[in-house]
Amino acid sequence: MPGFDFSNHNRNLALHAKGVPLPKATSTGTTIVGALYDGGVVIAADTRATSGPIVADKNCEKLHYIAPQIWCAGAGTAADTEFTTALMSSNLELHSLSTGRKPRVVTVMTMLKQHLFRYQGHIGAYLVVAGCDPTGAHLFTVHAHGSTDKLPYVTMGSGSLAAMSVFETQWKPNLTRDEAVKLCANAIEAGIFNDLGSGSNVDVCVITKDNTQLMRNYLTPNTREKKMRDYKFQRGTTAVLNEKIITKEDITKYVTVQDMGDGEPGVGEKMEVDA
Amino acid sequence: MAAMMQSAMPTSEPGYSFSQAPQSVAGGPRQHGFYPYTDNGGTTLGITGSDFAVLAGDTRSTSGYNINSRYAPKLFKIGGTGSANEGARIVLSVVGFAADGNALKERLDTVVKMYKFQHNKEMSVHACAQRLSHILYNKRFFPYYVHAILGGLDENGVGALYSYDPVGSYERETCRSAGAASSLITPFLDNQVNLKNQYDPTSGSGLEKVTKAPQPLSRQTVEELVTDSFTSAAERQIEVGDGLQMFIITKDGIEEKYMELKKD
Amino acid sequence: MVQTTGMLGEDGIHVDMGHLKSGEVNLGTSIMAINFKDGVILGADSRTTTGAYIANRVTDKLTRVHDTIWCCRSGSAADTQAVADIVQYHLGMYGITNDEAPTTQTAAAIFQELCYENKDALSAGIIIAGWDHRHGGQVYSIPLGGSLHKQAYSIGGSGSTYIYGYCDANWKENMTEQEGVKFVKGALQEAIKWDGSSGGVIRMVVLTKRGAERHLYLPDRNYEGPGMDRP
Repeated sequence: MPGFDFSNHNRNLALHAKGVPLPKATSTGTTIVGALYDGGVVIAADTRATSGPIVADKNCEKLHYIAPQIWCAGAGTAADTEFTTALMSSNLELHSLSTGRKPRVVTVMTMLKQHLFRYQGHIGAYLVVAGCDPTGAHLFTVHAHGSTDKLPYVTMGSGSLAAMSVFETQWKPNLTRDEAVKLCANAIEAGIFNDLGSGSNVDVCVITKDNTQLMRNYLTPNTREKKMRDYKFQRGTTAVLNEKIITKEDITKYVTVQDMGDGEPGVGEKMEVDA
Repeated sequence: MAAMMQSAMPTSEPGYSFSQAPQSVAGGPRQHGFYPYTDNGGTTLGITGSDFAVLAGDTRSTSGYNINSRYAPKLFKIGGTGSANEGARIVLSVVGFAADGNALKERLDTVVKMYKFQHNKEMSVHACAQRLSHILYNKRFFPYYVHAILGGLDENGVGALYSYDPVGSYERETCRSAGAASSLITPFLDNQVNLKNQYDPTSGSGLEKVTKAPQPLSRQTVEELVTDSFTSAAERQIEVGDGLQMFIITKDGIEEKYMELKKD
Repeated sequence: MVQTTGMLGEDGIHVDMGHLKSGEVNLGTSIMAINFKDGVILGADSRTTTGAYIANRVTDKLTRVHDTIWCCRSGSAADTQAVADIVQYHLGMYGITNDEAPTTQTAAAIFQELCYENKDALSAGIIIAGWDHRHGGQVYSIPLGGSLHKQAYSIGGSGSTYIYGYCDANWKENMTEQEGVKFVKGALQEAIKWDGSSGGVIRMVVLTKRGAERHLYLPDRNYEGPGMDRP
């Protein structure tokens, strides 16, 4: 059976009735915005993910890929925005392959609203959908319950009021690309500084008829300053009760060991850590 | 966007007074709610040394996801003369419900000033600490919704720090953090001030290892630990930020220091 | 009986949006549709709210379900959009398979089917108005429970409670187009004035044998223009 697995639903209901609290989902607070301009569309987002009052991720990505020329900014439950956009992206590519046409923004918007309406708001995805297709540049908002709006400039998330106040005072028709990017970044900054649910950096994505430019960390107005003290522990600070050394030869019995040679061990993305 | 933590989870609803509006069932029974407390977030911290005490607090005041003020001090001088408390030697820090904190500060300040007029001598921190406990317990069934920390120098000129629960239970300590980021700062202080989980690297090995004995810290070390505590708390606690205010109490009086914290 | 999104209690009018899911986008609305000499006119304000926040101040609550059959939506934005989308699909299929445009009555019947059978899950108050070759102009309303009422004119949404008197006093059968537009605009102006959940611009659609014509009236021009849309 495709779809969600509800087999734990009744158990969880019983646990909840006995006073076990529901598990906490990440990211309720966010600021995301979008604006149309002459020749394209811009979307932007902050990079803070929260779990209650705690910052879960200081530099997360809220701009999601749907198709090369269609991107989506997500607010609400982190997992829901992640999986819903991934599902739409997958289905849209199959649809595009089957029709032999470039995917359209209205198509994604319709797929999203029908999917979210079916789940009656239980999928907590609040999205700004933007992109360019053969019919032009488009911008939509989709709410978790499945309603959609089509507007020249939009904001969503807990910082949407702060961001909208920037749009409502500074937006004008026929913006240039640079003006639109600046305006969106300003709106996100308003959210970052005035909404506790939003913070850290500004991500921006500009989509035109024949190009998409993702500007990850377009602004970084909240870099951490250097700590005053050094917190490196001297070797021997932690007591060691037991020590066992497993050699490479020992584990070769169970797994294949591949020597990476000198230099950087392993591949893949480097983890971001504080200095 | 529902509230998800039982205690201090910020909600989009105002956390006070009339949030439970009367149910509109015509003719039916109605339940009215009245909840006069708000959590204004923020964090305070106090550390003592052999001849000084440091009290610190961030200056952000919040309600829900909103910032009420980027500069609303949680640290108050107690006693001294006039409204500027000149010559004061005691500092009170309050975190929790800011309105109660303010009321508590006013009460304690009045008491300490009255004491000087009536007895013609300064109130000792020891006496002030016990009096604060009584003020808190006086409202046992409608408490001041605050976590208070009182700091000064004792009769021997040694740094003194007293921490309180909302209904007046108190204790003298060398080190205490309270408020929104206390759960983040406390383990850091345990490790860096009381040297918990740290063994002497030069001592034996395994079970023979000797724990490091906590030593009184220098004023500079304490100030650095306080700064690092708050810059780190501002990274991970959304209700902490904007500014850091520090009061250093020495035999020469109270020195104030202020530095900016992140504003996101 | 007209559109009932509200009910009268002993201490005033209570808008029955109690069962709206929390955080849902709400069309706390002023909508109406009238018959006139040559067809029908639909009208609506443009405010969409989530709690006290205006999520969209230029909403289009007048939705096409066929060339000359349109509806006014009130209640949950998600629910009414979903219902209108489904009806639009059915009427599109009907038009193609029968090679003949559907009647307003047919459209209203499909709306009723959806609203009645799913009454427990929906908060949708819809007015359907259309023009067809067989019956000319017609106005139907489907309030919360899913009943269907054919009417000379219909008003709906939270703002409608303020304009029962206005409409009753000013209604005339067989008005001209200008009279009809004036009636709708006058009524919606009052609804917007008194109802906090309604506001923004006034949108209208005139449905006649000529087809559909859109009107727009802006508050910063005292709702006097620009009038009919000329794309």
